Amino acid sequence: MLGSADFGSAVVIADLEAGIGTLTRLGDEDVDVVLVVVEPTPNSLEVGARAAALARDKRAGRLIVVASRVRDDSDLASVRDVFGDAEIVVVPDDPAITGAEREGLAPLDVAPQAPAVRTLAELAQRLVPDGG
Amino acid sequence: MRVAVVGKGGSGKTTTSAVIARTLARRGLRVVALDCDTNPNLGISLGLGDEETERLAAMRDELDAGDAEHAPSWDELIDRFGSDGPDGVRLAVVSRIQNPEPG
Repeated sequence: MLGSADFGSAVVIADLEAGIGTLTRLGDEDVDVVLVVVEPTPNSLEVGARAAALARDKRAGRLIVVASRVRDDSDLASVRDVFGDAEIVVVPDDPAITGAEREGLAPLDVAPQAPAVRTLAELAQRLVPDGG
Repeated sequence: MRVAVVGKGGSGKTTTSAVIARTLARRGLRVVALDCDTNPNLGISLGLGDEETERLAAMRDELDAGDAEHAPSWDELIDRFGSDGPDGVRLAVVSRIQNPEPG
């Protein structure tokens, strides 16, 4: 799949199917970065842990855990418990995101300054630094 | 640079994909966003709106219903069956042919 495609100089952001199905079918080195997105619930953390293990097995590039909907230290602790010393980006729980979803609008359009949106925009900068 | 975004449904995966894609596109980078989810709604989070998102999903369903011999290549999928979103992000909904079921 992704590995067979030539996207030229484009940055490709692949929103994979929910769960780990697509990830199991990725070939080695098909991607440069895997973002494992989790929220601090047992089910989500479990799927995330399996995804992270698979990404490591496949040497699928840089692994970054995106901890979303984090409300407090205990939420963050539950993520750290599972992912240990992995690179973790903490996205705060943010009503602006839920609001945008409800309206069927892009968070970046309706709430560009919302903390969660800014954190994700900063993550984009980290992935592809200016001049990179 | 290829970035895969993975997680349980409802975890914030699509929001993450959308904000990253548009932030990079705003810097003038060419960005291709691929919606590989069985319930494709990346278009909504990117800001293409309900109608266009549904149109892309319906087109994907039609491609999936066709026979594999006439399946589009990646280039075709993106050029012919994709859509330009805000900030110039090119969105394509990935068909079953590009994103095969296991087994």
